Formats: sequence, C-alpha cells, structure tokens
Amino acid sequence: MNGAHDMGGMDGFGPVVAEKNEPVFHADWERRTFAMTVAMGFYGAWNIDMARHARERMEPGEYLRTSYYEHWLHGLETLLVEKGLVSAEELEARRAELAKKS
Amino acid sequence: MPKLTAETVLPILRAGDSARLPDDVPAKFKPGQSVRVRNLNPLGHTRAPRYIRGKTGRIDRDHGVMVFPDTNAAGTGKKPQHVYSVRFEGREIWGPDAPSKEAIYVDLWDDYLDPA
Amino acid sequence: MSAHDHDHDHSDVPSDLALRVKALESLLVEKGLVDPAALDILIDTYETKVGPRNGAKVVARAWADPAFKARLLKDASKTIAEFGFDGRQGKDMVVVENTDEVHNMVVCTLCSCYPWPVLGLPPVWYKASPYRAKAVRDPRGVLQDFGVTLPEEIEIRVWDSTAELRYLVLPQRPKGTEGLSEEALADLVTRDSMIGTGLAKTPGAKP
Repeated sequence: MNGAHDMGGMDGFGPVVAEKNEPVFHADWERRTFAMTVAMGFYGAWNIDMARHARERMEPGEYLRTSYYEHWLHGLETLLVEKGLVSAEELEARRAELAKKS
Repeated sequence: MPKLTAETVLPILRAGDSARLPDDVPAKFKPGQSVRVRNLNPLGHTRAPRYIRGKTGRIDRDHGVMVFPDTNAAGTGKKPQHVYSVRFEGREIWGPDAPSKEAIYVDLWDDYLDPA
Repeated sequence: MSAHDHDHDHSDVPSDLALRVKALESLLVEKGLVDPAALDILIDTYETKVGPRNGAKVVARAWADPAFKARLLKDASKTIAEFGFDGRQGKDMVVVENTDEVHNMVVCTLCSCYPWPVLGLPPVWYKASPYRAKAVRDPRGVLQDFGVTLPEEIEIRVWDSTAELRYLVLPQRPKGTEGLSEEALADLVTRDSMIGTGLAKTPGAKP
C-alpha cells in the first residue's frame, strides 16, 4: 500500500540526528513491546509480512507523529484483535482496570 | 501454549527466520540484464517502494528463491520466486539535477519486474 | 470498534503507553500466549548480549585475513554463521565492501530491517523518518549530518533492504594500523562504519 511508511525520497524531515551513547531501549514499555512482538511472531498466528502490513496500516498522520515502538505496539494490537486472540473490549477493560489502580 | 518459552527462546532465535525456499523456480532475469519496475500500486503489502516504480535498473545479483511478501502478507501463499539486487542510477530515480556517482540498490522480486 | 479507538489527541504521554503495554502483556500472559520468562530472556539478549561488537570482530578478521575477507564477500551468510554470529534477522547476509572508489550505505526505507546478529538492534535514527527518507535521496547529505565528507569522485551506493537479505558494510581499514592485533582492529570499527554513515576510526582518534 502507498502508506506513510513508504518514505524513500520524501522531503522536509530535516537532518539525521543521532543520540550519543543511545540505550537500546528508552523505556520499559519499549522493552516489553519488543519482546511481546517477537514472541508472538513465533506463535504462528501471522507471518512477518502480515506483521509489517499491520504497522503500515496506521493512519499516515499518526504514523509520522509516533515513535518506532509505538508502530510496533499498534501493529501487535491490530493483529491480535484481527486474528481473534484478544478482543478490543478486553483491551479496553484491562486498561480501565489498571488506570483505576494507578 | 506459547511457542516461545524460556527453554526454547535462544535456540529459536539462533534458528532464525530465513525467507529462503528450496523450490526450484527458474529465474526470470540474469545479472547484467536491464529491467523496469512495474507500476503496481497494490492496496495490500508490497516491498517495491514508490520511488522506483516505473524506473529502469540493472540486475546486479540474483539472491535465489524466497517467499514473496505480497502474497504472504495476504495469506494467499508463499509464491516462491527469485529476488535480485537491482541497481538504479541516482539520476534515473531523481532526475538530471541529482548528483552523479550515486546509485541505489533495491532488492526486488520477479513479480515486480519486466524486461527493459 | 478498533483496539485503538479513543477520543484524545494521540500525543500519548509516556504513562499512557506504559499502561497500554501493561494491559496487553497481562492479557497475553493470562491467555497463555506469551511466557514472561521468555520475554525477559529476549530483552536481555538484545539489550546486553548482541551488539555491534560482533560485527566489529568480523570486520577485524576480514582486515587481518585476506582469505576470510574473500569468503565473506562471496558468501557472507555462511562465513558469518561459521564465525558464530547467526540467527534471527541475519540468516541471509550480504557484505558490501568500501574501497577507494566506492562507499556503501545501508537503509530500510520501508521500515527498519537491520542485521541483528552482527549489529544488535538498530539505533533510533536508523528507524526514524529523516534517515529513511534521505538516505536514498541525498546520501552525501546524510554523511554530512554524521560529519563525514567524501571526495566527489567516490561512488556512493545505497542499499535499500526491501527483502530479507541483511546488509553489512565492510569499512576500509584505516591507515597506520599495520601490525595491530585483531582485537585492537575491532576497537576501531564503529557501528556507524558498518551501516555506512561513518568511517572506521584511525588509531589514536577520540572515541
């Protein structure tokens, strides 16, 4: 699909800026998102091309505004719901439950 | 049950995730051959970026037979076929005002290419 | 309703993401879809065990041993696997050599494909829009962003990792390194030099 992810040659993003001595992960949620994505990649409900496509289907404005692991999280949630492994309602309910506790 | 457990995780990582397939599929193109990228704009997953569609390049090397991502992502099959590094001159992609002495190599499948 | 519906602007504060991830993981564990111990090992592996030091050793060996270098350029997958670095996102490798005539740079414009077994996980800049957009369009500009200027006569080759081949740049061996041990040579090989956005360090250069 001609999504925002297909950005070779797109202008306007400015210089490449590299963080010095950058850590592998910047937050714990990134670690867990990385690991869950890789683990579910082996589960067998989808293949790597389906996983990439799930990230690509993010709304373009959101894709460009959000960070790399946010793309992964979006992709993982999308696939889990589409494959019927987790429901959107279950996700919302669990988030609400945890929000009340915090 | 999860496939990935504490015991299986390192061996599974080591085994890897190659997309190579053993199918004996003939290659459509040869190294050195001129090819043009098809102007395909599928709504589903594809790995032919927009910046090369319709452009002409040269087969640099044949990587062998691999899974075809477009059909694999759609769940319609692995459709084994050859993948090539295709060399595009910078000016072919970006026009005559682009610097000379810049080339882009893109890995492309048989189904993305026509002879040029 | 999509899993992602909510009515606020999607500039999530970090705590929203932490909550979302916590909710997701707790459900996946309850449903027996993931094993938390496996997740911990995955994180530890890529946070502490696998990184560019692996690739640096391969490069140092190639500099020191012409026969190894020839094998590496001919069949990178087999040679790197024999060296001990093998696995996920690196089974099918291609090594591209920098010379006096050619400088190579690797990108994945469509996502973030990167040779994990030899370089670990990619840095943020490699996965972000500026690099993905600019590397194929203005590689010399990217090199300038990294403080590198190459002579105009050098041909720059940008490799867009669109398939499952993973690319490693073999940087040029710096001058003044004759007689250095492989270990000392490996210390000169930076991650950026193996992506192609930098050059290997010269001996005595600042880290």
